[in-house]
Amino acid sequence: MASVTLEHVKKIYDKKVVAVHDFNLEIKDKEFVVFVGPSGCGKSTTLRMIAGLEDISEGTLKIGDRVVNDVEPKDRDIAMVFQNYALYPHISVYENMAFSLRLRKMDKEEIHRRVCQAADILGITEYLGRKPKALSGGQRQRVAIGRAIVREPQVFLMDEPLSNLDAKLRNQMRAEIILLRKRIDTTFIYVTHDQTEAMTLGDRIVIMKDGFIQQVGTPQEVFDTPKNLFVAGFIGSPQMNFLKARLTKNGQGYAVQVQGITVPLEEKHNEILRRKGVGDMDIVLGVRPEHTSVRFGNRENAIESTITVNEMMGSELHLHVSTAAGDSVILRLPTVDLDDQTRQSLSYGNKLYFNFPGKVMHLFDPKTEESLLY
Amino acid sequence: MSKKNEVPEVDIVIDHEAGVIREVKQPGLRSKSGHERRVNGGIYTVLVIMSIIWLAPFVFLVFQSFRSYITESGGMVAYLLPKQWSLDNYIWLLTDEKSHFLQWYGNTLIIALFCAVIQTLMVLSVSYTLSRLRFKGRKLIMNVVLVLGMFPGFLTMITLYFLLKQLGLTQQGAIPGLILIYCASSGMGYYISKGFFDTIPKSLDESARIDGATRAQVFMKIIMPLAKPIVIYTILMAFMAPWGDYVFASYVAFGSEPNYNVAVGLYRWVNVNDYQGFFTRFCAGGVLVAVPITALFLALQKYYVEGVTGGAVKG
Repeated sequence: MASVTLEHVKKIYDKKVVAVHDFNLEIKDKEFVVFVGPSGCGKSTTLRMIAGLEDISEGTLKIGDRVVNDVEPKDRDIAMVFQNYALYPHISVYENMAFSLRLRKMDKEEIHRRVCQAADILGITEYLGRKPKALSGGQRQRVAIGRAIVREPQVFLMDEPLSNLDAKLRNQMRAEIILLRKRIDTTFIYVTHDQTEAMTLGDRIVIMKDGFIQQVGTPQEVFDTPKNLFVAGFIGSPQMNFLKARLTKNGQGYAVQVQGITVPLEEKHNEILRRKGVGDMDIVLGVRPEHTSVRFGNRENAIESTITVNEMMGSELHLHVSTAAGDSVILRLPTVDLDDQTRQSLSYGNKLYFNFPGKVMHLFDPKTEESLLY
Repeated sequence: MSKKNEVPEVDIVIDHEAGVIREVKQPGLRSKSGHERRVNGGIYTVLVIMSIIWLAPFVFLVFQSFRSYITESGGMVAYLLPKQWSLDNYIWLLTDEKSHFLQWYGNTLIIALFCAVIQTLMVLSVSYTLSRLRFKGRKLIMNVVLVLGMFPGFLTMITLYFLLKQLGLTQQGAIPGLILIYCASSGMGYYISKGFFDTIPKSLDESARIDGATRAQVFMKIIMPLAKPIVIYTILMAFMAPWGDYVFASYVAFGSEPNYNVAVGLYRWVNVNDYQGFFTRFCAGGVLVAVPITALFLALQKYYVEGVTGGAVKG
């Protein structure tokens, strides 16, 4: 158990390609931090630097109070779970899990105790005698996690551990990782490209793009107040809708004019904009699909659109619509209150009216792509 | 049910005794076309002829070796099968005072064993290093080695001879001298095993290093057991090359009979000594040389094939 501190950490390949720019982060003891971002954003590189598998080009990395820049991976007291499991194919599950302990010349009985305990936690006791080849994907991933648990490491690193599993197993393992975390209570750093995993697992999420940290915050924070267009688009599924709009100041209050309707802002947002001294300007307006409301009766102050795709998701519909101005927008509509007639009317080519309240709007500066409300 | 005059290719028959339904193929209907048969026949004929040509010298060698040099003739004769089978040649080789055969055999064995050990260690560590570590000049080294490998080894023969001579490693010192020659550039043969190592996921190394292993431990405990086919392949190759070598062995040991290897010694019998008298003994020596290597090869054939193809898939 230890904190992990990254100060101005950089990764430069071949003196040219910068994979990670000036990474600053303090991970508290026993915290579960998730690095998330699209491929090539530097999240895995950062994790591998923490593991010691990649050299740190610049900056300082501390585990606990110790600077570990030049410490060998084996001496950092960390454990890592790999995407492809990286089980040693020639030895049994038991030996796989005991491998690190044997290298440490640990007492045989203690090794046996720890391996059995870990196997018990993960429900793989009956497979201990098998070779990894004879296991399914989910079982292999459990062994990989077990191999990390027996070490009782200070920091637990996981590099996309669920990416190789099918969707159903992934959900199940995700839940198991949450439980596991409660049981072994140590510092976790988890890398994924899947925003759902990031949201459900992390105490804090680090969103990265092109080697830069975009935003660090709790899942709720990054969902509610994304710092820029990238974070807004990355977190949440289906992704946030972006529309061209105009912000106008009217006395003390602000309003957004979009697609022929005017939506006033809430007072707390007005205050932020006033403090920043924002005047009238063109903006990018962001609205999450779940925050829109479809207007069946009253069409006043609603945007007119045409349905292009109707995706039935079971409990809700995802309606892809195209507005008069040509923007495409996704709306989420719960199916529970819809009668058959309305449901049938929601088909290709039909008109649909929708709007949204001021409090759900995200405003972005089109030039800097930064949020005006952050 | 199908009508009888349409004749289905397969009849479905219920076998009541066994309680199963099985398909019975009707005779005559599934035979291959005449053309296909003729093509196959042609191919097999060619293969049989080729294997006869291939095997003839070996069969010949074995037959000659069983013809007594005492009661029949030790030289070349105009018939293939010995009139009387005997082990005289072998007995002479192994027991006669004038025969240096056992000594030569021992020399060759020592050289081959040393080479097998040293060369295997060198080849495997070079391959692992080039496969796993990234360092300055790695690409350059690989390319230079590739180009150097295109020159035949005996281009350096004269230089090597003088070098060895200055070190006192010719003639009486031929055995260590030859071991040195065979092992010196052996790391250059890294290609196949590097290709094999490249197919072992790097994350295994990384995982082991995080688990607490040093690079050497990763190599010994993880990579070696997984690379068994290529290790065996490398040992086999390292053993076989000096076992059958003539060119280097003949000039490094030139003039010092006790330091010959088998190939050189046997050849000098038929070349310098009484050609007619020693021919059958030469053949017997050849058989004795071939026996261990054949046995080794057959025993390890499975790994050998795996090694060659395993390295080739993702080379």
